[in-house]
Amino acid sequence: MSKSVVIDRVCRIEGHGGITVNIHDGKVAEVKMDVFEGTRFLEPLVVGRTYNEVAPILMRICAICSATHTVASLMAVEDALGVNVSEQTRLLRELLVQGGNIESHALHLFCLVIPDFMNYPSAVDLASDYPHEVKMGLELKKLGNTIQETIGGRAIHPVNAIVGGFGRLPIREELLGLKKQLQKGLKQSLATFDIVSSLQIPDFCISPNIYAALLSDGNGYSLFGEKTTLSTGDIKEIGTYKDICNEQVVAHSNAKHSRFKDKPFMVGALARIALNGKKLSGQAKKALEKLGFDLLSGNPLHNNAAQAIELVYSIERSIEIIEELLSGEIKEEKPMQITLRAGTGTGAVEAPRGTLYHSYSFDKEGRLTEADIITPTAQNLANIEKDLRVSVENLIDESKESLVPKLEMVVRAYDPCISCAVHLVEVNFK
Amino acid sequence: MDKPNVGIYGLTGCAGDQLSILNCEDELLDIAGSLNIKFFPMAMTCNDEDSALDIVFIEGSVVQPEDEQMLKKLRDRATFLVAIGTCAVWGGVQAMKNEIAREELKQKVYGPAGKDFETIAPQPLNHFVKVDLAISGCPIEKEQLLQTVAALLHGDLPTLPNYPVCTECKMAEYTCVLIEKGQLCLGPITVAGCKARCPSYTRPCIGCRGPVEEANVSSEFRVLREKGFTKIDIQNRLHTFAAQADALNIESLKEAVDE
Repeated sequence: MSKSVVIDRVCRIEGHGGITVNIHDGKVAEVKMDVFEGTRFLEPLVVGRTYNEVAPILMRICAICSATHTVASLMAVEDALGVNVSEQTRLLRELLVQGGNIESHALHLFCLVIPDFMNYPSAVDLASDYPHEVKMGLELKKLGNTIQETIGGRAIHPVNAIVGGFGRLPIREELLGLKKQLQKGLKQSLATFDIVSSLQIPDFCISPNIYAALLSDGNGYSLFGEKTTLSTGDIKEIGTYKDICNEQVVAHSNAKHSRFKDKPFMVGALARIALNGKKLSGQAKKALEKLGFDLLSGNPLHNNAAQAIELVYSIERSIEIIEELLSGEIKEEKPMQITLRAGTGTGAVEAPRGTLYHSYSFDKEGRLTEADIITPTAQNLANIEKDLRVSVENLIDESKESLVPKLEMVVRAYDPCISCAVHLVEVNFK
Repeated sequence: MDKPNVGIYGLTGCAGDQLSILNCEDELLDIAGSLNIKFFPMAMTCNDEDSALDIVFIEGSVVQPEDEQMLKKLRDRATFLVAIGTCAVWGGVQAMKNEIAREELKQKVYGPAGKDFETIAPQPLNHFVKVDLAISGCPIEKEQLLQTVAALLHGDLPTLPNYPVCTECKMAEYTCVLIEKGQLCLGPITVAGCKARCPSYTRPCIGCRGPVEEANVSSEFRVLREKGFTKIDIQNRLHTFAAQADALNIESLKEAVDE
């Protein structure tokens, strides 16, 4: 007996992707995640542009991760040109990234995941029965956007974060206003955690996972770091990201997959908490302790709970950053002066979906000669396929109608961002 | 118009214009209540793939045969087609160097695997189908989107600006980044609607909304040359978001390539 399950389009994810499963004689013959997104070739197209034009173009790889793309891009440019930005700039950039994390996690949890687990086709349908909860989710999402607007100048594709610093610095009143909203948001994020941690998580998709994330090597949990750490015990400098991501063209799909020592791995909120969770503090730490299940059982569906914990973390950390900025005066600094030189540099930031790497080379006139970007979804793709296979093996006797929503649930748990998959392409067009 | 049937879809792009719809957090449930959203794969399951639509909003540009097929199908389904975002209206950043053969780019990024999939030089929607209304912006401005939905619900069209960012900038009395600060600002030739966001952050306009009607690009080019910018830097900036716009392909630029 053979059967084939083809999901043409997984809805409620960003970008266009599908799933193909082939079963022969009761055994799983093939499982793959198809990517139908058109290719934009932004990396070769940006060659020849001057250093200050790179971020405004490459942030447009993805709307929902545009803040992290911007910051990773600026860090790569500055690494290549030998620019050291001020502590104030670093804090403001982190606040921008935390805003992106809040917005993205709130969108994923309330618009994509919770309706999924509660069997509603969309957040709008969910709102007809749970208006209060959906409204709370939208307010959290808006909070993330307000931070990005205040610091970055726009919720999508920030204009204010530039090489060397910021165009205009926020004023005290703006930061105080944000802090007030964040304090309200903290309560909402805790309520969100209660909802997400009470969802029944199916156990059809459990297998050993390797996790990778930037190592929080300071005092607390962080979305930044100079090294990447893996649950295998390996630690690598971000400049050697190619050793980790090790992209390869895979015969069955021709999509580029990332493998570490020939094994797939997972990046994202779950991986970050697996590797850096002991550094959480405050309410986020309490939330992690309160979880009634083992987050690290190898079930990717727990990524949703990990995102809920990070929602709490990002709000608490944003309040902390604002307090630090307000503890003195905001320095009226201009962006750093840039001295042109040839060079190569790498920037890495934990995007909502996992580690994002930008790496560039410039000639002595400050024009880009090469750009390489590794997005979280590109890294997760091989692991998604692994988990789809595990799920199909566990559910092999189920009908197509019962199998399809479960496989979609696995894909959505990764919060894949296919727009982001800059050089990730599936060529199996039907 | 009572509750129109609506579709929302993204061809190839960053999904930022669909996300801008979802970013109307305060208005989202009201919008959803006043429309019959039949097709919006990014935000809902159970999409109606075939029925007639009164209005379809499409973002992204056409970069592969599948995009073209989907666009034509949506055009056939819909009475009124709205292009949302600079990719849909002008081609966007992916269309910045369409003179480079796609085959060459595929080889560079994918090596031999590249030959197995088809890709075409990115094009805006109106190269393939009739577009009834174009809302540009990278991404679109929330206010323009809400205005458009409100107008269409009343059987009317929105009034979108036909003047440049420069006008909005002067009205807000920001320091001129082009004349006073000598930066490569495209405010004089870019269509308004963003309330001169970049100049408000002391940054030059980089033209993300595409050219304004009757843009005097030759004059802009002359001013920028006088400010000391090289022809190649001016060309690069002009050709970032709307490289295919006729208005931005002036004679002086053709000479720039030979220089």
